[in-house]
Amino acid sequence: MGTTLKNSIQLIIRHNTIVIFLIMLLVSAMMSDAFFTANNLSNLIRQLAPVGIVSMGMLLVILTGGIDLSVGSVVAMAGVLIALFSQSMPLSVAVLAALGSGVLAGAVSGYLVSYQKIAPFIATLALMTIVRGCGFIFSKGAPIMVDDQAAALTDFGSGRTLGIPNPAIVLFIVFAITAILLKYNVFGRILIATGSNEEAVHLSGIKVHLYKFSVYAIIGGLAALAGIISTARTSVGSPNLGVGMELDVIAAVVIGGTSLKGGKGSAINTFLGVLILGMMGNVMNLLDITAYSQQIIKGVIIILAVLLQRFQDK
Amino acid sequence: MENKSLTNRVELRNIAKSFGGVAALKDVTLKAMPGEIHALMGENGAGKSTLMKILSGVHQKDKGQIFIDGEEAHIKNTFDSKKLGIGIIYQEFSLVPDLSVAENIFLNRLGENGWWLKRKKLNQEAAGLIESIGFTIDPSVKVNRLSIAQQQVVEIAKALSENIKVLILDEPSAVLGPTEVLKLFDTLFKLKKNGVAIIYISHHLSEIFKIADRVTVIKDGTSSETLDVANTDKDTIIRMMLGRTLNAMFPPRETAVGKEVLRAENIGIAGKVKNVSLQVNEGEVLGIAGLVGSGRTETVRAIFAADKRTAGTVFIHEKKVAFASPVDAVKHGIGMVPENRKLQGVILSLPIKENISLTNLKGISNGLGFINAPKETGNADSLIKKLNIKAPNGDLATGKLSGGNQQKVVLAKWANTNCKVMIIDEPTRGVDVGAKVEIYKLINDLAAQGVATLVISSETAELMGICDRILVMREGQIQGELNKTEFTEENILRLSIGAH
Ligand SMILES: Nc1ncnc2c1ncn2[C@@H]1O[C@H](COP(=O)(O)OP(=O)(O)OP(=O)(O)O)[C@@H](O)[C@H]1O
Ligand SMILES: [Mg+2]
Repeated sequence: MGTTLKNSIQLIIRHNTIVIFLIMLLVSAMMSDAFFTANNLSNLIRQLAPVGIVSMGMLLVILTGGIDLSVGSVVAMAGVLIALFSQSMPLSVAVLAALGSGVLAGAVSGYLVSYQKIAPFIATLALMTIVRGCGFIFSKGAPIMVDDQAAALTDFGSGRTLGIPNPAIVLFIVFAITAILLKYNVFGRILIATGSNEEAVHLSGIKVHLYKFSVYAIIGGLAALAGIISTARTSVGSPNLGVGMELDVIAAVVIGGTSLKGGKGSAINTFLGVLILGMMGNVMNLLDITAYSQQIIKGVIIILAVLLQRFQDK
Repeated sequence: MENKSLTNRVELRNIAKSFGGVAALKDVTLKAMPGEIHALMGENGAGKSTLMKILSGVHQKDKGQIFIDGEEAHIKNTFDSKKLGIGIIYQEFSLVPDLSVAENIFLNRLGENGWWLKRKKLNQEAAGLIESIGFTIDPSVKVNRLSIAQQQVVEIAKALSENIKVLILDEPSAVLGPTEVLKLFDTLFKLKKNGVAIIYISHHLSEIFKIADRVTVIKDGTSSETLDVANTDKDTIIRMMLGRTLNAMFPPRETAVGKEVLRAENIGIAGKVKNVSLQVNEGEVLGIAGLVGSGRTETVRAIFAADKRTAGTVFIHEKKVAFASPVDAVKHGIGMVPENRKLQGVILSLPIKENISLTNLKGISNGLGFINAPKETGNADSLIKKLNIKAPNGDLATGKLSGGNQQKVVLAKWANTNCKVMIIDEPTRGVDVGAKVEIYKLINDLAAQGVATLVISSETAELMGICDRILVMREGQIQGELNKTEFTEENILRLSIGAH
């Protein structure tokens, strides 16, 4: 009797992310009739796509024991650049160039962190302001409308495939790739090992520096992808986009049970973390809770989630 | 009235402890009198460290009783244990790397003299304490700058910084050289005179006969009867530990030395190593002897490019190589089992199989890096069996293994590759007698396959038993080279301490 109770408590603690997710789902359904409508759900997931995409990159970075604060700025810069480039270039080239700008920004962070041994927090804090500045300079400080010539971009952003919003599809693909890499590929294996004991990995003859560098380049690319999708969805590239986004992204990763010390975390739980965070906002909006109160509630839930994970470590 | 001197200082009665359904201790009883040195022995994974962690409050017992000076003690955490006067030196280090030596020694009492750290006073007291046990270490240095032998000394000083009735030492000598061990023994004898009960865990039988009064053996979680050391011998203890006898400690082997594989010329590391040259051939086992701090580890780490060197050249198969990092060294077929397994050897949070695979990721994955799970599992299982690692399967987190079994995982990592050169820094650190023989066999097998092997060890007998040649280092320089016919403890010691 006692042991079954104990076992089920342990089970709940072990799978706390999914438990929180199910509770959120239940609460959302109860709180608002509007929640489980196809319209609301597809809107929700469409809105979540940028944060979700970047969260997958953040998961990789945090697994190695790092952090990236510059993602919001990269989202804005890439969003501005795609709007600009698509005015004069073929769309495919414009997309590649915008993605490239993100990879480049990430590569600079990665170089500073991995080869110059600057603390990730500091290096990416610097990149955060530098890249934000670049976004403003490229856009001359004003939002840039997507040109009619690039209608394909906005069509993609607002369109659906098989009834699913396109941004959501991109998110699913990024999620699937991350999950597969982490679970079945040497790349994920090395990231997790690096976050657990970098020295042991290094002495095993593995290019730790290259792997650490690469996660920042990857998250830069993913942030740029998120920026392109945002612009595609809204038809404007705004240099003000994504301010404070890094906090949402980090929160999603942490709610998903990832250890900020590195070495522990999974793609599926991070994905659930993104959904939990998104549902929280969505339900609070449906309930007309003010933005200020929303911030407080969000913070409390993050603390609760992390406290729950404490038990898991024991 | 009970005569106080006849009361056990510490008594553990019928202790049992399981981890998630697996019994680590089934029924262990252990009694130590004041002023007694009581040896606790047993195979890797027998439950020695677990028992001591119960006494120090890290783990809680499932069953049984603990008595200190005849009174039942309820130890719920490490604080309770400290209050009862129990001091412990753990098998795995527990110092804070970023704090100074003095701060570590007085860690749990830093707040006692008000808010401000009185650095000068702390340092003075720490230096005095370290000197009283026969060593000199600058107390203001950060612990992460110390060698592991020095860290061990700090651990001992820390345990002695309080008034203790019971001192537990979990394989303290594993990281010390012969002279340091003698100093440790002096300290233990002093404590013994003061009536401290000492529980001494070690895999070195010779030490037991030198210092212990009585010995208890744990086998499969159950304790034997306690024996007087004076009335027993090594073979009896080995039989009690392993349940069988050992034929020979050092398996015989045919040496067939081939061409040169590795040559290092005039290796120098500023302030640590000067002009070290060495050469290892195919199928040869070269030993490096020397006291702790003589520059042995620094030399091999420089060859492996784990640390920068300031001078010297390395040749592989007569070709000059310039390694920028261990990545290059490994690419050229060099493997290294590092000195400090917890910090450099294994990843405690990852499964055994993932640790083993780390040196051979290409071998278990396809061109795109996708891991062949059955292959990985099979590969790990065969090494677990070959090295007799005590674990249900390769999925267990390495941190849950006993210390000696973790050491075997580090060896398995490199046995898993096709190295041409194997550098092994302390191959049998923390490994039980039975498993030592297995590791010596493994080294023999490697040599038979033509691997050039470089072994550092602080156990002179071990070097003499497995090496073809031995270099002796002192103060960062090579003092001499001994051929098999010249192998004697005395020759090695003479060169290590620079006596003529
Ligand atoms: N935290 C833990 N969780 C699960 N199992 C554990 C844990 N700690 C120890 N064990 C298991 O308990 C058994 C006894 O381990 P212990 O460390 O006490 O052995 P030991 O006698 O000290 O061995 P060694 O000589 O190798 O240090 C081992 O099988 C080990 O795997
Ligand atoms: Mg142990």
